[in-house]
Amino acid sequence: MHKNHYLKRFLKGWKIFIKNPLGKAGLIILFVFMLMALASFLVPLLGPMYDPMTGTDPNIKVSTGPSFSHWIGTDNVGRDLFTQLLEGAKVAFIVGLSSAFISIVIGTTIGMISGYAGGFIDAFLMRMADIIMVMPSLVILLILASIFGQFNIWIIVFIIAIMRWPAVSRIIRSQTLSLKNRPFIEASKVAGASNFRIIFRHIMPNVLPLAFLYMTFRVTSAILVEAALSFLGFGDPSQVSWGMMLQWVWKTGHMFQAPYWLMPPGICISLLTLAFYLLGRAMDEVLDPRLRKEGQA
Amino acid sequence: MAEKHTHIIELKGIIKEYHPQKSFFSKGENKIVALNNINLGIKKGEIFGLVGQSGSGKTTMGRLLVKLEEPTKGTILLNKRPVTHLAGKALNNYRSRVQMIFQDPYQSLNPHLSISETILEPLKVHKIGTIVQRREKVIHTLETVGLLPGKDYYNRYPHQLSGGQRQRVAIARAIVLEPEFVVADEPTSMLDATIAIQLFKLLTRIRKEFNMTFLFITHNLAAAKYLCDRIAVIHEGNIVEVDSTNEIIGNPQHPYTKKLIQVQPGFHFNHLS
Repeated sequence: MHKNHYLKRFLKGWKIFIKNPLGKAGLIILFVFMLMALASFLVPLLGPMYDPMTGTDPNIKVSTGPSFSHWIGTDNVGRDLFTQLLEGAKVAFIVGLSSAFISIVIGTTIGMISGYAGGFIDAFLMRMADIIMVMPSLVILLILASIFGQFNIWIIVFIIAIMRWPAVSRIIRSQTLSLKNRPFIEASKVAGASNFRIIFRHIMPNVLPLAFLYMTFRVTSAILVEAALSFLGFGDPSQVSWGMMLQWVWKTGHMFQAPYWLMPPGICISLLTLAFYLLGRAMDEVLDPRLRKEGQA
Repeated sequence: MAEKHTHIIELKGIIKEYHPQKSFFSKGENKIVALNNINLGIKKGEIFGLVGQSGSGKTTMGRLLVKLEEPTKGTILLNKRPVTHLAGKALNNYRSRVQMIFQDPYQSLNPHLSISETILEPLKVHKIGTIVQRREKVIHTLETVGLLPGKDYYNRYPHQLSGGQRQRVAIARAIVLEPEFVVADEPTSMLDATIAIQLFKLLTRIRKEFNMTFLFITHNLAAAKYLCDRIAVIHEGNIVEVDSTNEIIGNPQHPYTKKLIQVQPGFHFNHLS
């Protein structure tokens, strides 16, 4: 019965979403990247030569342009750039979605608690959020990376998530503040519901759509931070990613010699972040009726 | 007073003050007195009307009684036991015995919970019955408040119901624990007159069936006359008059009560010409 309710809510939102040209465009781009990410799982079937990390073409000793066996070319040691690009799509999704998800979970929980509890707890949590919010996340990551050496990709995901929850928690907090004094919350208090129950049973379903909206924006920023970090040489050295590809093209001095190597990862980063941004904008319209055009349901 | 031991709820010297802008520099000297030394007893089994204009403190009194707020001074007694500043188990126990019906049925139901989830909540919170028993109880309560057949409403959501139906659901939530005392804060002010009459009949029936006591808060003297056994008139935080309904309407003593009766719209069209 809940499933039905949430499904109906989803379908209703979907109808508005899909009418929005921004949403449609975002979804199409996203779909293409999703196919790329899925295709990266098929790469091992092509044989060890096409492994994005370790596979090298024995016939190629320098970076070459597009050819029949290497669709967009190879790097300077003969690794296939197309499979690297596919692998990069997978990594971008993993980094973007998982760090966005973690920061949304932290941000929503803290935002709800802060808004609902008020007083000292609110002040404490929000000042903590302020402190983290003003920290430049890339610089912090660089400092940490230079102290502890190269990070595993999951540690990078986690640090990005930790750096990015405050903005979410502020939005959720303000939403909670407006919900907190609504009669249905008071009714449930009069019925004897615990604070825990009120927060997770009554407030959470009402703030969740907003949390998902902010998740799309978090994805964008997580992908950009990871790419920047990798490009600067502080990424996970055992993991191909688009930022890593850019790092290699820079480090090997092919920046202006091999456009077929430089362009694809750059374009992919831009397009994927754009796709998530467009998605967020369209979702914004679903959640905020004031943004809708006349005549839309 | 011999009738004193039948009082279910008593308020003794209740004062409620609000301090606006308690900021760093001003200590909020200009306090607002919402309730000023209220002494009142509500007898078991009666429907007690609290009549006053907006801002008179009537809703504040309701909120104090269901412990959404605490009085600044004074004591509230439930069955002769003080219940001010309860916490923990004692508060939980109080919550199962005193319930509230809110004014706006469009605001008092969580849009994301189905009707059954809304009414189940008090049962779950107070750990009453098994899952099957709870289900039965919810359906039975839905039918008690006139949502027939109960099964048809079980899985619906608030947005699928009309205002009157929503208010019935809110009443069902309030009575599902079979509380001793229910505060009804202008439960019909958002609904049209015919629905209001139906709800009054429902409240009267519930009172008989469960022997519940009601505090009926309203600005509408006609509604209070229709429903209540006794009426208290509240004006600027003071109770100006308490008496049986007939006495208040037929023989008002306080000038404010007289004024209130006078401005009550009736069918005296000859006044206009």
